[in-house]
Amino acid sequence: MSSLRARLWLLGVAGVALACTDLVLTVTSDHGQLRGLNGSLGALTGVAFVGTGSFAWSRRPANRVGALMVATGFAWLGAGLAQANSPLLFSIGLVVGPLYLVLVTHLVLAFPDGQVTSRLARRLLIAGYADVLVVYEAWVLLDGHIRGEGSLPANVLAIVHAPGVAGVFDVASSAAGAVIIAIIVGILVRGRRRATPVVRHAAAPVLWTGLVCLTAVALSLAIGSASVSDIAHGITGSIAMLAFLALPFAFLVGILRSRYARAGAVSELVGALSSRAALRDTLADALGDPSLRLVYWAGRWVDREGRDVELPDSGVTEVERDGACIGAILHDPQLDDEPELVSAVAAAAALALENERLEAELRARVAELQDSRAKLIEVSMAERRSLERDLHDGAQQRLVALSLQVGLARRKLHSDPLGAEQLLDRAGDELRLALEELRELARGIHPAILTDRGLPAALQTLIDRAPLEVELLNAPDGRLPAPVEAAAYFVVAESLTNVAKYAQARHASVSVLRRNGHAVVEVRDDGVGGADPEVGTGLRGLADRLTIIDGRLDVLSPPGAGTIIRAQIPCA
Amino acid sequence: MATTVLIVDDHPSFRSVARMLLEAEGYEVVGEAPDGEQALELARQLSPDVVLLDLNMPGIDGFEVARRLPAGPAIVLVSSRDARDIGPLDANVMGFIAKGELSGASLRSVLSA
Repeated sequence: MSSLRARLWLLGVAGVALACTDLVLTVTSDHGQLRGLNGSLGALTGVAFVGTGSFAWSRRPANRVGALMVATGFAWLGAGLAQANSPLLFSIGLVVGPLYLVLVTHLVLAFPDGQVTSRLARRLLIAGYADVLVVYEAWVLLDGHIRGEGSLPANVLAIVHAPGVAGVFDVASSAAGAVIIAIIVGILVRGRRRATPVVRHAAAPVLWTGLVCLTAVALSLAIGSASVSDIAHGITGSIAMLAFLALPFAFLVGILRSRYARAGAVSELVGALSSRAALRDTLADALGDPSLRLVYWAGRWVDREGRDVELPDSGVTEVERDGACIGAILHDPQLDDEPELVSAVAAAAALALENERLEAELRARVAELQDSRAKLIEVSMAERRSLERDLHDGAQQRLVALSLQVGLARRKLHSDPLGAEQLLDRAGDELRLALEELRELARGIHPAILTDRGLPAALQTLIDRAPLEVELLNAPDGRLPAPVEAAAYFVVAESLTNVAKYAQARHASVSVLRRNGHAVVEVRDDGVGGADPEVGTGLRGLADRLTIIDGRLDVLSPPGAGTIIRAQIPCA
Repeated sequence: MATTVLIVDDHPSFRSVARMLLEAEGYEVVGEAPDGEQALELARQLSPDVVLLDLNMPGIDGFEVARRLPAGPAIVLVSSRDARDIGPLDANVMGFIAKGELSGASLRSVLSA
């Protein structure tokens, strides 16, 4: 048996023992009326609070509701000692007296999650505790002969008998208590209106009973402190007592409602799922939470449209199927107190959720493909612009000059043969340069050596043309798919171009490996580092090209520590 | 007196062959500029009769140089593209010659238009 359960059993035994003591003291008391009835009801109420509180505490150890119920029960039973004929026991009962009232107020405020979230309510609660523990106790300490029904024993805990002053504290304590509880009733009514349907459903029996009890207590205290009418004081006091007695049973009713609702919710859910109703609406009805949302796991959390979603800190229940997470239900955080209900609903809906997950994954993939397509068009247009610029600035200019030189040479053929010959020599030079530029351009579009002899040979030509020492560390055995080889080639080409232009490096290395279904391309140099892919268009364009084929580009370039360009390209 | 010409083009090979061609046709090439900034400077210094101005240059392009040139020289735009690719000409530009069609005759034709 866990230590908590052992402690709760002990508390239960202590509660029963104290209840029996109260019963005996009340039945044998020589002050008070209807001793048998009051004794039985008093003992039953105390046991009900302690028992129900222990059950709640064992069910939800982190929730303070259980502990508050147990404390209320013991405070109630402690107050019952005031029925004793013994002055000492009577005095102890007197001291404990109204403590159960402030504890039950605390309980109703904190129900159902054990927290008092309203700052005003917390301050009022502190004021209530101060009223009972200071103002009321001052009355007890100052009045040695309490007036009441019948001849009451002496108050042996009084320090001095000053009934006049004590009376002031008595009235002040009652009046303050009435005001505090009245304001708290207002807070509870307002809070109930603002509560979510889940909270209203779960808390209804306890909250309604608590409201009746506290309202009656406030009225009774107010009437008593003003000494308006003994009859009215008696009636309101009795109503408060009855409502107080009903509280533990209201709590049990709430639990039973929840359990029946859980069983009903799951069976209704299974029926609704087979009728092809919208899954989200069906789950929201089953859990009584209109704010419910569904998210799906597609490598990341996405909604039904495939858009990225961030999960909140609470109110999240993951749904698994065959041991794998397929999605999550985002619900009212109050349902975190009903994990069995939410899990049962999630399990029943797992198959339908899996179908929706696949749809969401598909939509997310479509969105990625649309992005890729847009990038592809952008990259393609950028490459065309670059090609036009290279043609215009290079080969085209040379051919224009060549055309003019040939024209001029032709005009000079007879009048100045030597001049014509020189012009034709220059024209020949222009032609050679134009051809070389066109060849270079063709290599930039697609190097023939890559198609004819494969990646290692193509990489070697890049390395041979580099103006620094470059080592080929690894190259794949056998051919890779053509788009992968082309992408790897251009990663190395662009990287070595950048090394030559900017890195001030003495040495570089190139590596291409197959690893886990990817071609991993790495170009390292020992230069100045500080490369930023966002600054130049070369690396950015390269990253975009890789994204189109589901690849990625990483640049590690701390200043002063060289640069590593790493591309990972899927190749099945 | 020969018509004086300032050649503005960022390609030295074109400047060189344009000079030979124009001088063979009786023009006097008084200066060459590889970009717009130097073209504006030389135009102020040399006050040529004609500025032969390439459209596509690094820095400020031929259209902008034409707008900034002082009044005086006849501005003739040239390009390795043809007329279909360059759009309408500003009012202060005499005309346009595709580089491949540059000759004494084509230049005289534009200047007399």
